[in-house]
Amino acid sequence: MDPILTTNILNVVYEVSTLAVVVLGLAVVFGLLNVMNLAHGEFVMIGAYCAFFVQTQDLPFLAAVPLALLVCGFIGLVVERILVRPLYARPFDTLLATWGLSMLLREAVEAIYGRGFRSVATPLTGSVDVLGAGYPAYRLLLTAVSIALVAGLVWWFVQSATGRRIRAVVNNPELAGSVGIPVTALARNTFVFGCCLAALAGVMLAPLLPVNPTLGLDFILKSFFVLVVGGLGSLVGLISGAGVIGGVESVVSAVSDRTWGYSTVLVIAILFLWLRPNGLFPRT
Amino acid sequence: MASFLVHSAALVAALAVLPQLVGEFWAYTLALYFLYAIAAMGIGLCWGQAGILPLGQSMFFGLAAYLSGLSLIHFGDSWLLLVLLPASALAPGLLAYGIGVLVFRGRTLTGPFFAMITLALTLLAFQIANSWNDVTGGFNGLKNIPGLPGLSDFTDLYYISASALAVCVLGVAWLRRAPAGVLWRAVAENEQRVRFCGFAVQNVKAVVFGISGVLAGIGGALYAPQQNLVTPQLCGFILSADLVIWAAVGGRATLYGPVVGAVLIGILTADLRDEISWWEVILAAIFIVVVLYFRQGLMGFVEPRFERLWRRAAARDIESPARPGAPDDTGFALDDVHVRVDRVRILEGLDLAVDRPGVYCLIGPNGAGKTSCFNAMTGELPVRSGRIRILGRERTGAAADVLSRIGVGRKFQAPSLFPDLTVAENFNVGLWGGRARLADLVRMRSHRWSSAILREAQARFPFLAEEDRRAGDLSHGQRQILELVMVLIAEPRLILLDEPSAGLSQAESREVVEAIRWVGSRLQACTVIVEHDMTFVREIADRIFVLHQGRLLASGTVAEIQADERVRAVYVGASA
Amino acid sequence: MPRNFGQVSRRRFVAGAAGSGAAIVAPAVFTGARAADELKMATFFPLSGPAALFGPTGTACTRLAVDEINAAGGIGGRKVTIVPADGGAPPAEAAKAAIRLMLRDKVELVVGSHNSAVREAIVAALKGKIPYVYTPLYEGGECNPNVYVTADTPQQQVQPSITWLARTLGAKTYYLIGNDYVWPRKTNEQAKKYIAEAGGSVVGEEYVPLGAPNKFEDAVTRIKAKNPDLVVITLVGGDNVNFNRTFAGFGLDKSIKRISYLLEELTLLGIGDKSSNGLYSAMSYFVNEKSEANAKFKASFAKAFAPKPPPLSMLGVDSYSGVYCAKALIEKAGGTGDAGRLMAASNALRYRTATGTAVMTNRHVVKDMFLAECKGTSFEIVETFKAVAHGQACS
Repeated sequence: MDPILTTNILNVVYEVSTLAVVVLGLAVVFGLLNVMNLAHGEFVMIGAYCAFFVQTQDLPFLAAVPLALLVCGFIGLVVERILVRPLYARPFDTLLATWGLSMLLREAVEAIYGRGFRSVATPLTGSVDVLGAGYPAYRLLLTAVSIALVAGLVWWFVQSATGRRIRAVVNNPELAGSVGIPVTALARNTFVFGCCLAALAGVMLAPLLPVNPTLGLDFILKSFFVLVVGGLGSLVGLISGAGVIGGVESVVSAVSDRTWGYSTVLVIAILFLWLRPNGLFPRT
Repeated sequence: MASFLVHSAALVAALAVLPQLVGEFWAYTLALYFLYAIAAMGIGLCWGQAGILPLGQSMFFGLAAYLSGLSLIHFGDSWLLLVLLPASALAPGLLAYGIGVLVFRGRTLTGPFFAMITLALTLLAFQIANSWNDVTGGFNGLKNIPGLPGLSDFTDLYYISASALAVCVLGVAWLRRAPAGVLWRAVAENEQRVRFCGFAVQNVKAVVFGISGVLAGIGGALYAPQQNLVTPQLCGFILSADLVIWAAVGGRATLYGPVVGAVLIGILTADLRDEISWWEVILAAIFIVVVLYFRQGLMGFVEPRFERLWRRAAARDIESPARPGAPDDTGFALDDVHVRVDRVRILEGLDLAVDRPGVYCLIGPNGAGKTSCFNAMTGELPVRSGRIRILGRERTGAAADVLSRIGVGRKFQAPSLFPDLTVAENFNVGLWGGRARLADLVRMRSHRWSSAILREAQARFPFLAEEDRRAGDLSHGQRQILELVMVLIAEPRLILLDEPSAGLSQAESREVVEAIRWVGSRLQACTVIVEHDMTFVREIADRIFVLHQGRLLASGTVAEIQADERVRAVYVGASA
Repeated sequence: MPRNFGQVSRRRFVAGAAGSGAAIVAPAVFTGARAADELKMATFFPLSGPAALFGPTGTACTRLAVDEINAAGGIGGRKVTIVPADGGAPPAEAAKAAIRLMLRDKVELVVGSHNSAVREAIVAALKGKIPYVYTPLYEGGECNPNVYVTADTPQQQVQPSITWLARTLGAKTYYLIGNDYVWPRKTNEQAKKYIAEAGGSVVGEEYVPLGAPNKFEDAVTRIKAKNPDLVVITLVGGDNVNFNRTFAGFGLDKSIKRISYLLEELTLLGIGDKSSNGLYSAMSYFVNEKSEANAKFKASFAKAFAPKPPPLSMLGVDSYSGVYCAKALIEKAGGTGDAGRLMAASNALRYRTATGTAVMTNRHVVKDMFLAECKGTSFEIVETFKAVAHGQACS
């Protein structure tokens, strides 16, 4: 196969799978709690800064994972308690409140680290030969880990007892509460879990991004578009949405340039929001 | 009116002396933030009044700025500017109106979708502005835009901005008081009721969004000659977000809230950002607190005290114009109507016809399809097959506002009105529906409309004469009656009432029966009532239709139905 | 005041400046006019955005110059104070800041090192009312009244280096990539001319938005497909870092040479030793340039900011020289008030720089230029071009 074509295909796969991981946490929280957490991108951003922090302390890259999970898990816990929980009945205000939260986190990180771009060293250098095309090893690893994460979560959700409980809560919160499923705790854990997933995505992506406080903004918009296109709150929707958004951006960027890629994504998102707000795979 | 003039004079005087007090630099800064304030007022109208949150106002601000910048660069010394500058301000309004018509058409979009569409549009606008180098100058922007001819120093610029602000504040103040403002608040509270009062809600929303576009446009069109530089950030997400925050913290539902928010927070931010490192964090926290606990914002603590002065109900001394164009035919006919929702069969070949004035009752066990019958007639439920004739023509699937304008009124099972509006404003929305022309919606005198049916109703139900009360403060029974009267004052020919007696005392119930009979005979209308209370039915019905499992089971007089074995079997079966 | 600018944030920097008497203590409403024997100098360094990594070095070098000048009696007997502003903000914001500095803070002089879009905005805002010294490399052509450019021009940066690379490396095919604003576009216009003169051809040219979260895998894949001999990079700061890391990550550094026209020590540090193979830079200053004056300058810099001096780079050092240029200019013209006298004074103006003295003609500067190849995270000067003309014709 033509090595350029191979590279382009790998680029698309990379884009789609990493996008899916970023959206994963947002989709879990929205699917289960009906809360659109507009601060999700900022949790990704904080994850990336954790990777940067670990580097400044001369610690190994992987030390960023527990640090990011701790930091974002804790913030998520506090946020769920004081911001999200009082607003479960006011979804539109949740949107505004988490949007305010996103500003707060962004500005807080800016106050600490400044507005400049930071770089995180790639933990795995060198490239691997894939069908005659050299491809960066870390990107391949990232793609693999992303696919494994999404698949693992789907499997866990379908198989485990907690997954069954969660599905019960989604289908009928009152009934679930009355049969002794701790709805409040489950909601809290779900939110924290979503934040942790974002943090993990942030750590993973940090070496390939200019780490800066506004990094989350780009992610939250694209993630939101993925959910809109795919259909809010279903896993098939998540994957197809990531496929459409990530795929289109990647392909159009390869053929033309990034500006066109991003603009095309925006147009698709607008068309979906307008004409098919329930997405490709609406939840029934 | 007097209070409006006092308000205008005070505002103009305050803006005129301000630069003398603060000096050149602050005059320059205020001039800039006044322009943002004008745009923020548009958000106040959309979000605080009509309940739709636009997240992309910078798109309109930026568009106007580019248009006016290009006009000034290419026609800087020509009389054409007199046309081009106003056009630059109006163009975004047209764009917003167009977007509104498209987005709101045929569907009641929930708020977040509209907000996200406008957000995505502004991101797209930024991309275009940032990369269309030939026209917009790309990242560098439109440079060296000449100022407005004949103006030089920073104080001149201030007076331009201040005049624009004064005009916009007074214009918005007028609109908020005018029927249009009442209508917007009504839409925010209960879109369905507004539609059933005969207003095309999608147009109402598109118009308010269009006006917000004009306001953003005025700000943008003046920005270009004031700053001499227009860059893509003007279309960007950050400015959009700032405008929303200013409106929210200042008080989105108030007149001055967005202005105070933009000027106060905007200037504090510009000044403190560099000095208090956590300022923007504090600001974000303030925004969160406002969203969580103080939705009225800063001016929400002040303005309502003044607002009460002018929100008092006006004396009703003008006879409302007659309703135009109601068809002569009365009655309706459902012909083999099928309705399904997902896979659940709701109506299964319903045939039902009424062709002369009178009071008809629809009865039947729960799930028989009584309310669904109304919903199918008023376009709330999609009809899969069959035909529906209403007032002389086939109108299968016609929209509620269209039906209302030709003379179909509907009262809902749970009282559907505007709880945060006064009783007077509730009546007015009912009176304006189908009667008010566009010009009437910006005239204060439309608040003074009265009608014979309204006077009669106020005589029968004295609490309805206390027009300054908040509708939401009425008792359940009173709200039922208020909604009924709102339906009746529109003078419909076909009146659909869903359990009008639910929650009424016996005395009230009797009054309602009499009122319905009186209006029905006066208007020569067909009145169809869904009712469970058989006492009520016996008192009022000329004829009864019994529905069962989505079909017509029986019809006849009260006595005939009471004697019908099939009906008895259904009721016994249903209760067993 | 804090001497450690190593990890300085924009806010802490401002706080530091406030402590030194440049003083924005309370909201500006309360700060009135200040002592008349003080000369307020506004500085625009990028404290945010993709170029923010250049902020600290510019800030520190300016500080050093001002401290030296003040210790020696100031400019024309007046002590200099610094009023900082963010040159990394979008142009419109920078323009607003310039007006604020003029009207409220009454600055009499502006020294800036930032992108050209911001320069154009500031020039338009100042309208020549106060002198403005612009110090980093740029695309040429800035002849507005009362603007003094100490920067490298394409005639100095691009012409000699392209000619040399075409000859020495035998580069025939070129790929141009830059940020989408005035500097990369105008610089590449010049570059294309020099490439044609050297007998080469341009096989690709693309621009990415400035200040956007850019990714470069598709650009790198396109370059891979074109397989040029030399990639000419006019990306700024964070984008330059990210592009070069992606470039090397895809293994292209082994076969394709690169030259970046905004690559100094800080950017190279970000790119890292694993991604700098086959990368060139052409500028008028590198930290390891071996002149006596440079050694002296580096020593005083290290001393001033001990124990942990911020990293040095050309984008700071040229601001140091820029302040001395302003001093010479103002003293020769006898004040900051008269644009005509200032512009007349700028002709044949001699002023001190970090590496010696320079002479200004046509409000630009004739310079020695260096071409350096990256070795790990440091530069090795491979060619020196003596007294290269700036090619500008401002009156």
